[in-house]
Amino acid sequence: MNEQALTHHERLEAAANDRVKFGFWIYLMTDLLMFSVLFACYAVLHGNHVGSPAGRELFSLPLALKETLILLTSSFTCGIAMVAARRGNKNMTLFWFAITFILGLLFLKFELTEFRQFILEGHTLKTNAFLSSFFVLVGTHGLHITSGLLWMGTTMIFVMKRGLNSALVRKLSLLSLFWHFLDIVWIFIFTIVYLGAFA
Amino acid sequence: MKHGQTKSYVIGFILSLIFTLVPYYLVQHKVAVGRNLLVAILGLAVVQLIIQVVYFLHLGRKPTPRWEIGFLLSTISIILVVTAGSLVIIHNLHSNMSIPDQEKTLVNSEAIYQVNGKLTGACQMIRANHQVIIKNNTASPRYVSADKCDTLTFVNQDSQRHTITFGTHTTHSSYAGVSEFELRQGKPETITLSETGGFNYHDHQRPSIAGSFLVLYNGQGQ
Repeated sequence: MNEQALTHHERLEAAANDRVKFGFWIYLMTDLLMFSVLFACYAVLHGNHVGSPAGRELFSLPLALKETLILLTSSFTCGIAMVAARRGNKNMTLFWFAITFILGLLFLKFELTEFRQFILEGHTLKTNAFLSSFFVLVGTHGLHITSGLLWMGTTMIFVMKRGLNSALVRKLSLLSLFWHFLDIVWIFIFTIVYLGAFA
Repeated sequence: MKHGQTKSYVIGFILSLIFTLVPYYLVQHKVAVGRNLLVAILGLAVVQLIIQVVYFLHLGRKPTPRWEIGFLLSTISIILVVTAGSLVIIHNLHSNMSIPDQEKTLVNSEAIYQVNGKLTGACQMIRANHQVIIKNNTASPRYVSADKCDTLTFVNQDSQRHTITFGTHTTHSSYAGVSEFELRQGKPETITLSETGGFNYHDHQRPSIAGSFLVLYNGQGQ
């Protein structure tokens, strides 16, 4: 009786998890559509730099590679953190999410350093259509990373205080989806914006 | 099962590393150039997308809901329509709406040789005619020397159509406002040589059909 009730409860929870995950998936896909419009915009406008330097004169490939590797590693550590969370290992979960968080911050630091350098050199959002589309595309991704970090930080505090309950594990699994998604979007920024400028 | 999950993240990580470093190497060492390189790195990015979807997002692992894959695929198709569509439309717009080109086409087709007292460069009267015959996928003569305001006629004696455009292959340009024209058998096309200098032309589909012409300024014609 008791055992049956438990499995029933578990089944309900699994169904709820699937529903929530699918709902979040729909959000991710609409977000992807937004990014695709920004990509299309960049693809159309990247040649319009009217006399000021083009991408290949501004971008630094080693910096872009560094950012890519940092974000890729953070996507990986996020996955490892989720494995620990599903096992119910609170300390390992917190440890791996902390590493993910630090890598995310490091990524953001490099991106902002790059933006700052461009702006100090006089290449701002307003300079030309190429830079407008560049700042909007890469900046939107950076904002997503920022909100992901805020989300990760608050969820980690909850895990610390309340332990790994099923609601928090579900939340973490959505967060990890979000984080992997941001890495996938970055692959295309790296390829189209940075590598593409030198192709 | 749980051990398998860690393994899937490790595999995904290593494969993603490879598919990040290979395109970086290709670009850094200029293994290919231009369009080929762009297609190669985009292809590698798509492979990495699939790797991460399978090994990080674990899509399609569970036997139950396929909705997520379905939604992903429909999103990707919308993305393809939006991005490819914008690129094609803007490319056409760009090649047809470039203002100097449009002005030149108009000036030449209407033979407007001055606007507000300024000479436009269009020819007021036509002088000699030169011919280029395209046969068996070669253009002859390959080199034409003409004076300004002469005309140049392209004749196609092949059964297939040729699309003639100016410049050398891959770096297309326009001549006197014309960026390309289609040449059918028995339907010659004539252009007025209103720009002086040395110019190249070629067949867009078969770059081996190519030639050049030199237009000299002779102080007459206008």
